[in-house]
Amino acid sequence: MSDPIERTIEAFSRLPGIGPKTAARLTYFLLRAPNDVALDLADALKALKEEIHYCRRCFNVAQGELCSICADPGRDQHTICVVEEPLDIVAIERTGAYRGLYHVLHGAINPLANVGPEDLRINELVERVQKEEVREVILATNPNMEGEATAMYIARLLEPLGVRITRLAHGLPIGGDLEYADQQTLAQALEGRRPIS
Amino acid sequence: MYLQHISLKNFRNYLRLELDLPQGVTVVQGRNAQGKTNLLEAIAYLATGKSLRALTERELVHWLAFEQEPIPYAEVAGDVLRDGIVTRLRIVLTQQGGRGSGSGLRKVVMINGVRQRAIDLLGILPIVLFLPEDISLVSGPPSARRKYLNLLLCQIDREYCSHLDAYTKVVTRRNAQLRSFQGKRPDPTLLAFWNDALVEHGTYIIHRRQEIIARLDELVREQHRILTAGHGRLRVEYRPSLTLIPPSTQVPKAQLALALAKEPVAYTPPPILPPHKIRKRFQETLNTLQREEIEAGATLVGPHRDEMAFLLDGRDVRTFGSRGQQRTVALAVKLAEVQLIEEALGTSPLLLLDDVMSELDEERRARVLHVVRQVPQAILTTTDWDVFDADFLAHAYCLQVNEGILTEKTPDTP
Repeated sequence: MSDPIERTIEAFSRLPGIGPKTAARLTYFLLRAPNDVALDLADALKALKEEIHYCRRCFNVAQGELCSICADPGRDQHTICVVEEPLDIVAIERTGAYRGLYHVLHGAINPLANVGPEDLRINELVERVQKEEVREVILATNPNMEGEATAMYIARLLEPLGVRITRLAHGLPIGGDLEYADQQTLAQALEGRRPIS
Repeated sequence: MYLQHISLKNFRNYLRLELDLPQGVTVVQGRNAQGKTNLLEAIAYLATGKSLRALTERELVHWLAFEQEPIPYAEVAGDVLRDGIVTRLRIVLTQQGGRGSGSGLRKVVMINGVRQRAIDLLGILPIVLFLPEDISLVSGPPSARRKYLNLLLCQIDREYCSHLDAYTKVVTRRNAQLRSFQGKRPDPTLLAFWNDALVEHGTYIIHRRQEIIARLDELVREQHRILTAGHGRLRVEYRPSLTLIPPSTQVPKAQLALALAKEPVAYTPPPILPPHKIRKRFQETLNTLQREEIEAGATLVGPHRDEMAFLLDGRDVRTFGSRGQQRTVALAVKLAEVQLIEEALGTSPLLLLDDVMSELDEERRARVLHVVRQVPQAILTTTDWDVFDADFLAHAYCLQVNEGILTEKTPDTP
């Protein structure tokens, strides 16, 4: 294992979506590439692990103690949007429609992958709701079975704390055609209809 | 409703096929391994989005496609006419990453040129398919009967199909969750979530199975009576894994004795439990089974363990019936299915019979042909023209298949 080539291949193949073939291809590419390609990568990886950590409040990626959102006093401090991954924050931020805070769980309850509530930042969320002046928790986990299980689990934990708990709506995509919507989505959109005001 | 046109590309042993189909009866004759069953399978695939025979969809792609097409693919398309409106169904399987790559196939379902989910195909082209191996519906393991029920219910109720899909997912996840509790104190909130999910989807499945089997019971008995000229009384019974009626409220002893008598005076089928009662029973049962389930690391009760029994004069045809009796029951079930789909969808299904005639005696053939003439469209395959009489063939569209090529039968061909 002391052979640097072997070590690099082994290291690459531990990444998601990369098999031994791709790992070998990447390794030999870096071997032949100008020095700065490989060294820039090494530096970036080092900085990634040394400079970036998780916000101690919401577990979003952060360069300081707090992430840029938690550190922003202009954000609505009474609303927490619960997401599975930091990437979900990026997606919601792009909408510009949300001005509150976040809480990143770093996954969802998934018995098949052996991920239970104790592996997620759920206790930290409960603590935040108890300590901070939170009025609403928006559960924005994915609309699949794992996401639903997680949302339901958190909802039951938070219920006794007397906070408003909401779930993202399921429904029709904007710019779509009704006749092309699949039945389940359409049925849920009908169920979740609301008055025009 | 009928299938006007079917088009195959690289499907099984058909490289290219464009076939206009008439209303009424079509008979396809061919020697073994020429493509008779493959044609019926293609139609069934278009109707349900699933192959009823292949283990992997890769089997469906002609082997030459992997060698000769720039991007290996297989395609089945068909035009269904109902009430003057044509619906075009199409399923395309494409090799991912082009030729020679080992990766899987991508399946795209299109309805009238728009991408849809496979589940959206259900009910557009309802079919009843009868293959010689369908005798396993009676003689095979319980899973064969569950598969049968699921396919039938999916065709007439898409909601059943989505509940079934969700239920199957819940069972695997719940089993993993149960295993994760072994040697630990189970998390009551988590357990509650998986129990609720299991009960929600399971209740719908059980409720629909109750209803459909109650109706099948009546229709199959009638078909069986006609097929056997009244020899023996057939009953179809639902045997759910969840005890729907607790033992304390079951039939009292006196009535039980009556039921054991040779000719039951008046058989009353079990009542159909409303969903809220099923839900309650299911929840209660899960609560009492909790420890056992965690120990087993498996979901021990629910529709995934259901059974259905065929009783001929009170005796289970699966264990006590002769091969001939089993075949007759399977045939009665299939004929009843035609009626059931008519009732549920308001249109007769396309009847697909694969080499069924050769195994039947004269009377049963006549009965099958009677039903075949009644449905708007039927496609029959045979190795031998002789199983049909000349008058029947004179009114049918006759085709011959040879190594994946269909030709019209001409009067002078033997």
